[in-house]
Amino acid sequence: MKGERLFRILGLVDDDLIEEAASASSAAASKRRSASWRALGLAACLALVCGLGLFWFRGGGLAGIGFGGSAGNASSGDSGSAADDPLSTEGTAFMFYAGPVFPLTTLEEDAGLTAERALTWDFTPGTHADGTPRRRGATVADRYILTNPGPEAVTVTALYPFAGSFRELADLRPAVTVDGVETDAVLYAGAYAGGFQGVWQSVGQLDGSTLNLAPPGSWTDYKALLESGDYLAQALGDAPALDQPVTVYEFADFEAPHGEYDAATQAIEFTIDQEKTTVLTYGFNGGSWDPDTGWQRHSYFVPNGVRREPEKKVLAVLGEDIGDYTLTGYKNGGCNEGEEIEGVSCTVTRRETTLDAVLDELCRYFYEDYAGWQYGMADSTVEAVPYPLFRRAASELLTQYGVLSREATVDRYADGRLDDILSEALSQERVLYLSVPVTVPAGGSVDITFKLWKAPSFDYGCSGSENAGLQGYDLVTRLGSNLDFTRQTAAVANTEGVELVRQNLGFDLAAGVTAVELDPAEEHYYLEIRPAE
Amino acid sequence: MEDSAIIDLYWSRDQRAIEETAGKYGPFLESLVWNILRSRGDTEECVNDTYLRAWNAIPPARPAAFRAWLGRIARNLSLDRWKAARAQRRGGGAEVLLGELEECIPTPRGVEQQLEDQEIASLISAFLRRLPAESRRVFLRRYWYGQDLKEIAAEQGCGVGKVKSSLFRTRKALRNYLEEEGIEL
Repeated sequence: MKGERLFRILGLVDDDLIEEAASASSAAASKRRSASWRALGLAACLALVCGLGLFWFRGGGLAGIGFGGSAGNASSGDSGSAADDPLSTEGTAFMFYAGPVFPLTTLEEDAGLTAERALTWDFTPGTHADGTPRRRGATVADRYILTNPGPEAVTVTALYPFAGSFRELADLRPAVTVDGVETDAVLYAGAYAGGFQGVWQSVGQLDGSTLNLAPPGSWTDYKALLESGDYLAQALGDAPALDQPVTVYEFADFEAPHGEYDAATQAIEFTIDQEKTTVLTYGFNGGSWDPDTGWQRHSYFVPNGVRREPEKKVLAVLGEDIGDYTLTGYKNGGCNEGEEIEGVSCTVTRRETTLDAVLDELCRYFYEDYAGWQYGMADSTVEAVPYPLFRRAASELLTQYGVLSREATVDRYADGRLDDILSEALSQERVLYLSVPVTVPAGGSVDITFKLWKAPSFDYGCSGSENAGLQGYDLVTRLGSNLDFTRQTAAVANTEGVELVRQNLGFDLAAGVTAVELDPAEEHYYLEIRPAE
Repeated sequence: MEDSAIIDLYWSRDQRAIEETAGKYGPFLESLVWNILRSRGDTEECVNDTYLRAWNAIPPARPAAFRAWLGRIARNLSLDRWKAARAQRRGGGAEVLLGELEECIPTPRGVEQQLEDQEIASLISAFLRRLPAESRRVFLRRYWYGQDLKEIAAEQGCGVGKVKSSLFRTRKALRNYLEEEGIEL
């Protein structure tokens, strides 16, 4: 491509021009910018930016504005809070936080049971679920002895929380044994566990938007999430009902002069009354709005059989229908005036259904045809995600943070792109729960053990952080649990080849201390290791 | 740390050079590469490759403008990676960026003179210097740094429409300029 050569040549223009272009904008411009972002946050609606011509790219777009979003969180942009203090009670604030190991709880508030807990981190090399020999992650055995001191048998629903995303579920899902017998457990999933944050303007400075994800960055974030019990209640409760009627426009049978244009694009334009109509899209790459007039344009690269993008293209219209619309072909996704082209066509079908039905259709399409490719997941890894839970997570994201949440809509989802909602429902951090019914006989005990592979918290290798190479593991002793713990212990196993760098547990490998009693008054313990390899 | 001190670390083969480079220019490089590749994994690898290239190039190189020098490496690595991936999945940031630049290229008309890339870049530098500063900044933010229109508009404190029209005018002017200079790419 000739454009490629020019792109490379432009890389060679004079240094001073490059530096000039990178220099800060004027103070006035900065002031106007921050004001517009504040207004954006307040508006929290489709009126994203006046006359805005956004353009997304698969897997990018808004997600890519500003680093530091999904790669960390506001509190962990600079890691190493404990780096100089080996006795710190908080441990290192890693750039990626994998979440603690949580304690078992029960659905019943006061079941009259006591519990002993013994947790072991096993650092045997090769325990990584993908079979690679790297010493990354640990196998955790989290064992509970539930004892019933009462005169009658007690049946409870044991709930075991663990942190992770659907995308990693195949690796992370714990195996459960009750009195040594492998037991099936029902999986529940909580909503997205994190929040949203602005775009990095410079180191340590975020704007006021909610464009980036801010996943939980420390155990205290999980504490804030779980302490009230509302999160668990939502996870066990009913999924949001989305039975409102929608008008669906589906695009198919695409044609375009692909030989002539690499990125031939088709756009649909219409004007709506924004008070009466909300438009959701799936499979579209770009969009523009004029909030003053209600004009909207949504566009997609015409599928060419090569580009790997969803071929399903849908507009779901809530409220008043969009009425007349126009379809136009363009040379590329810029959809610029004067760049219209002939020969771009498709078939548009219109139907009426419910939001639940169309969301289910799109979730199913994404789950079965696209998620594996987008995230590099094997079929079996996708199938390890129970579809109803994924489907529910998408509904929750749409109603909690998407355009259906009205005033709570975050900037990230304000454009109504269901592509973002669906893909991020799969990848966002959440707390999942395994539910197992357990009957503890009168005066007796039951051994219930959860064995899982636990990913470490870490700093990115290229970050230059002094903590790069460290693996962080932590546990919480009481958070979210209503069990009456009489004893908790922690142990490490197969520690040959790992160095314990920082901890507040009391292990001393040189002295042979590999098991310790935990203080029930201490909510949080951490362990940071460095593999010798 | 001053650029010259970082470069001294490279010359003394001190690995802290990479740490200092990453600390000072990591976010800049990540942003630059991301604008082209739109993939976090590829971005991380490309930035790491940039550090490796820098390590291998200094010495003997002693770049006068370290940031721009690193940026050039990262841009070229990104473009190489994008090309490699393009056969399998098309789209992404680079595709649209390059598509827009196509219109700057004069149509072939038998011009005999072929200039090397550096010479053409010098001509483009001269062209850019003739532009109003704002137009020059917008053009380079788009086609050197790969920023999207919205981001440029926010930084310039203007609307996206103004950015688009500025880019349109500059591309058209660049095309005419290159034609006048007899450049054929």
